[in-house]
Amino acid sequence: MQLKRENLIPALRLLAAQGEILVPTAVDEKVSKFAPWDGSSAPDLALVNTTLPPKDTLFPHQEGMYRYKTAGEPSLEEIVEAPARILFGVRPCDARSIDCMDKVFLGDKYEDAFYARRRANVTVIAHTCAQTGPTCFCDSMGLSPAEAPSADLLLSDTETGWLVTAQTEKGEAVAALWKDLTAEGGEAAPAPACTLKTNMSDALAGTLVSRFEDPIWDEVCHACLGCGTCTYLCPTCYCFDINHEDHGGEGTQFRCWDSCMFSDYTRMAGGHNPRPSKKERLRNRYLHKLAYFKERYGQILCVGCGRCVGHCPSHLDITAFIDKAAERFGEGK
Amino acid sequence: MVNHDCTCKDNPLVPQLCKVIKITQETPDVQTYRVQTLDGKRPFTPMPGQLGMFSLLGVGEAMFSVTAYGEDWIETSIKKTGMLTDAFHEMAEGQQIGVRGPYGNHFPVDPCKGKDLLFIGGGIGLAPVRSFIRYAFAHRADYGKIDILYGSRSPADLVFKEDLFDNWPKEPDTAVHVTVDRGDETWEGNVGMVPGYLEELAFQPVNRKVILCGPPIMIKFTLQSLLKMGFSKEDCITTLEMRMKCGIGKCGRCNIGSKFVCLDGPVFTMAELDELPDEM
Ligand code: SF4
Ligand code: SF4
Ligand code: FES
Repeated sequence: MQLKRENLIPALRLLAAQGEILVPTAVDEKVSKFAPWDGSSAPDLALVNTTLPPKDTLFPHQEGMYRYKTAGEPSLEEIVEAPARILFGVRPCDARSIDCMDKVFLGDKYEDAFYARRRANVTVIAHTCAQTGPTCFCDSMGLSPAEAPSADLLLSDTETGWLVTAQTEKGEAVAALWKDLTAEGGEAAPAPACTLKTNMSDALAGTLVSRFEDPIWDEVCHACLGCGTCTYLCPTCYCFDINHEDHGGEGTQFRCWDSCMFSDYTRMAGGHNPRPSKKERLRNRYLHKLAYFKERYGQILCVGCGRCVGHCPSHLDITAFIDKAAERFGEGK
Repeated sequence: MVNHDCTCKDNPLVPQLCKVIKITQETPDVQTYRVQTLDGKRPFTPMPGQLGMFSLLGVGEAMFSVTAYGEDWIETSIKKTGMLTDAFHEMAEGQQIGVRGPYGNHFPVDPCKGKDLLFIGGGIGLAPVRSFIRYAFAHRADYGKIDILYGSRSPADLVFKEDLFDNWPKEPDTAVHVTVDRGDETWEGNVGMVPGYLEELAFQPVNRKVILCGPPIMIKFTLQSLLKMGFSKEDCITTLEMRMKCGIGKCGRCNIGSKFVCLDGPVFTMAELDELPDEM
């Protein structure tokens, strides 16, 4: 089925009745993110990639967990929030990042109720990449700019609009909604090649862990400022801290994004810190992305979106690290 | 193995309000809290070695070993190490706190069946060990001879004194060996560090499992002694400590390699620890 370009706004209008639509939006010259659709203009579907990933839709930067009262009769009340939302125009890398977060929050012995409730009410409409950005390398990480298998619905660029492929039940509901706006025909453009290439392989993922004491970690960590930009912008970084806001006798317990690149992330009450310097912290981040996550959940935690590569103030580049490691450890493709 | 008899039916991150029904001053800086739900029930049923998240609403929360449980209570022991633990020490009986759990794996109570057990604790490290000691006494027929070796800095720093000197020595086929680094004028027991005393007691490494918890430095030297005595790393079981926030393998905080201490631990054999990256 094909959705013609002129039918995009009517299609979004139909969707808007189902929930809040979040579309790629330029906030200013430098920053873009997924923001509520204004209801009338065509979203900028050429943005590759939004500066901020869509992860806060499912895993807000700060999220209330429960309200409590300590004055008088103490009480505690869980906060339940799960708005119906449609993420529209998610790139294949970001679609895969949601799949990574699902692995963490929906499984592995416990379900995270806050995430699960939001997730159930979010529909992901992905959009293939007709052109790639300067730091894109998803096709080196086992993805394709033309596929997003975990998205509910996939829009693939054609000459005159988009091919509409429903991939889940939620996606079929959207396709049904658009029945009168779509027609047969249309051919998807071939997948473009990513701008950046890197030498990642399954063998390297395994080898990296066994090179825990290699001097390579010392060599790559020096420029890191520990600013946390890389983890903040990363669509798959999901670490969080739990804290509270107290207003004398009552307050809210919340969780918020945290970063393994911060020095007090692992510091214990007695002062001991198992990851005391940036070497241990960067090593943990790279190993978590490239090896640990795969050991635990079966896939790599870097989707090749290129955000950390493009925004690190010290120009640390995970693809340069992968290439260096592949060369040193002889595990190239 | 996760024990799913938890405090919160569908949201493991939201605590249940409970009350502190008894506070025991173990040492000048360790207190034990007996905790019960507001309607007088046991908050959850932990397996030995499992953890609980205890929170002072408006102050903070932290993970501690659940050292014991009874019909309608659980107990945890907390040592003063900073702002949050100081606040716990200021509590009075009747105070309400948040409790969630139990978290983590547990001591291998089944694989230990039919074996002699050697429990070794240093300082507050007796707290996790105590949960298995109590379990073994409650299932006495399942285990062979039980030895408990406990060491602290001084007689004033001994925790669970009633258990050490009154309750446990009365149990069948059980010996309790207590040592202090430095004695005082009233102390008549052994004086010396745990590793030395352990070697003196000369336990045979045959059909025996060792459960040891304590400060890292004590674990290190005690393990050296155990290996010298012929114990294998597979037969030496310990617990790890890590900073924790969620307790359910989500927040990412407590990883060592691809393992989460809150989920895959805190109990590991020394052989399993050798397999993990050296980052503890
Ligand atoms: S963005 Fe760069 S400098 Fe900042 S923490 Fe990440 S690697 Fe270090
Ligand atoms: S590690 Fe960097 S390139 Fe990989 S997914 Fe995260 S931000 Fe994107
Ligand atoms: S405490 Fe959150 S992952 Fe272990």
